[in-house]
Amino acid sequence: MSSKEEILGKCRTQQDYPMPRLDDIAAVKYPDPLTQFVAMSAAVGGKVVELQPGKDINHLLRSLFPEAVNIASNLPEISLANRNPDTVGSAAELDGTDLGVVRGEIGVAENGCIWVPQTMKERAVCFISENLVILLPKEAIVNNMHEAMKRIRVGDYGYGCFISGPSTTADIAQVLVMGAQAARSLTVVLLP
Amino acid sequence: MSTQHSKKAAAFLKNQEYTAWHDATFWGVRVGRDNMAMGLEEWEQLRQKASEIKLHTLSHLDKYLEQFAGNAAKNGVKVHWAADADEFNSIVLDILTGSGVKKMVKSKSMLTEECGMNPYLEAHGIEVVETDLGERILQLKGQAPSHIVMPAIHLSHHDVGELFEQKGISEGKGNHDPTYLTYRARLSLRKEFLSAGAGMTGANFGIASTGEIVVCTNEGNADMSTSIPKLQISAIGLEKIIPDYDSLAVFQRMLCRSGTGQPTTSYTSFFRKARCADGEFHIILVDNGRTQWLQNPAHWELLKCIRCGSCMNTCPVYRRSGGYSYSYFIPGPIGINLGMLRSPEEHQGNLSACTLCGSCQCVCPVKIDLADQIYAWRQEWPAAGKKLICSVMNAVYKNEGIYRNFTGIAHLANILPAPWLPFYLRFPRKPFHSLAHDEL
Repeated sequence: MSSKEEILGKCRTQQDYPMPRLDDIAAVKYPDPLTQFVAMSAAVGGKVVELQPGKDINHLLRSLFPEAVNIASNLPEISLANRNPDTVGSAAELDGTDLGVVRGEIGVAENGCIWVPQTMKERAVCFISENLVILLPKEAIVNNMHEAMKRIRVGDYGYGCFISGPSTTADIAQVLVMGAQAARSLTVVLLP
Repeated sequence: MSTQHSKKAAAFLKNQEYTAWHDATFWGVRVGRDNMAMGLEEWEQLRQKASEIKLHTLSHLDKYLEQFAGNAAKNGVKVHWAADADEFNSIVLDILTGSGVKKMVKSKSMLTEECGMNPYLEAHGIEVVETDLGERILQLKGQAPSHIVMPAIHLSHHDVGELFEQKGISEGKGNHDPTYLTYRARLSLRKEFLSAGAGMTGANFGIASTGEIVVCTNEGNADMSTSIPKLQISAIGLEKIIPDYDSLAVFQRMLCRSGTGQPTTSYTSFFRKARCADGEFHIILVDNGRTQWLQNPAHWELLKCIRCGSCMNTCPVYRRSGGYSYSYFIPGPIGINLGMLRSPEEHQGNLSACTLCGSCQCVCPVKIDLADQIYAWRQEWPAAGKKLICSVMNAVYKNEGIYRNFTGIAHLANILPAPWLPFYLRFPRKPFHSLAHDEL
């Protein structure tokens, strides 16, 4: 008998607990989810900037990151980009990226999470970049994780991530430090 | 009566300054958890739902495991089943040697710790690099975690600073600032990510309806570990399977709030497929005792645990004795219990590390009755000496004749030297019930 059959056989119990209803959870809702999202983003060490209607995203990014040299993105509107995660030879070639720009689909007001499904060949761009920018439509903010989980779709690449703030650690003496192994800063650009 | 735990705790308590820091640090985390919990009106409702989802999933685990494995296979994932630690370790080794991998980066996994995977792989010539900062520090220092979420909490920034100087991770000497040390570790680990042939993760959750592994980290190291190498291996304990995304929402909201007092981890990552067309994704489902524990009528609910660590953060004994005082590799209330499931003969000393205050079960996000379980273990597993005392007392107090005779001659035992009779214990010359109060 294989381990699979053996394990499944031993899992069978006489217990029978029903699955609880989950649609009756009185989950937190905010009068203005966008304001809460901005506050939470700041609380987790992120930054939120609004792109004014009619303004060029590239100008905004350049003013935010004047010293960025290596800029990676596969988004057609990011003309600043000089590296493309779709066409690099390997993920390792994205090392040394100063700024990565990706698209987020859903923002979560309760905790500042942004759903970023993989839409590029090399998802490393989301983590290996020193600074990460996530473009997020202003109207894509939901109240809580229950609402978010109902909307997320993991695409064909088979990977997605909720990102909230920069990479952090408190593993040395419980002192909070931004920039552990992944992006050292996170900027959310709210699109009109 | 002293136990292994109490002896080690006594040693821990000798450094009063450090003990005070340790206690205050974890109390701070507990306060953070309280702030999060009190910030959500639905908190207690979430705990109830979380508990019920786990009870349901565990009582239908065969069905959910099959669903999970079937969906993962549809995603092109190679699913493996490991009955025990040995089988798990050899599966990992086979995958790595099959792909000619010499170095593997990995994110935090208490399961690989449980199975002793790192030493096994290293004995077979494979370099394993821990990428969670705390775990990396411990790996360099040759130590085991002292907490499941904050593994290197027992080291000061000076300890880490000196270690990094010794290992050539820091430049020069004397800079022990945590921000600087974290940055130096970042640079050093970056080289490892770029040169590893495989990336490994544990799993916080397995989603039956999609066949996905969900991993929560603050550092993003699980994502770094799996975004560059083409081979991914994820290890998951059977009990980590949950039905679907709606269930995940409940647990995701509680895990980090309970564990560290944050509203979420920085990264909540969903792994469904191999990273690229010429890549591979292996998921290893590990039993290693879990199906046996599932059949334990008194203690199977311990499998509800999501490893947030809140029970140890709040525990007055853990806070004042540290992770290394426990004989099992997971400390605190959940570790006492899991150690008893694993090997009661070996770990019953940990049963003394509990005041039965019940704080743990008041904060547990999946409502495991941890302290009640410890009480139950104490009834089931008295140490040999205690067992003997109990059976003698039982015989004596049940029979008046024996009682009178026995207590009448008990004073003869006073001539016994220590350790047969401890110096503070002296028997009176008449039966206990006829002693006047001032004689006691």
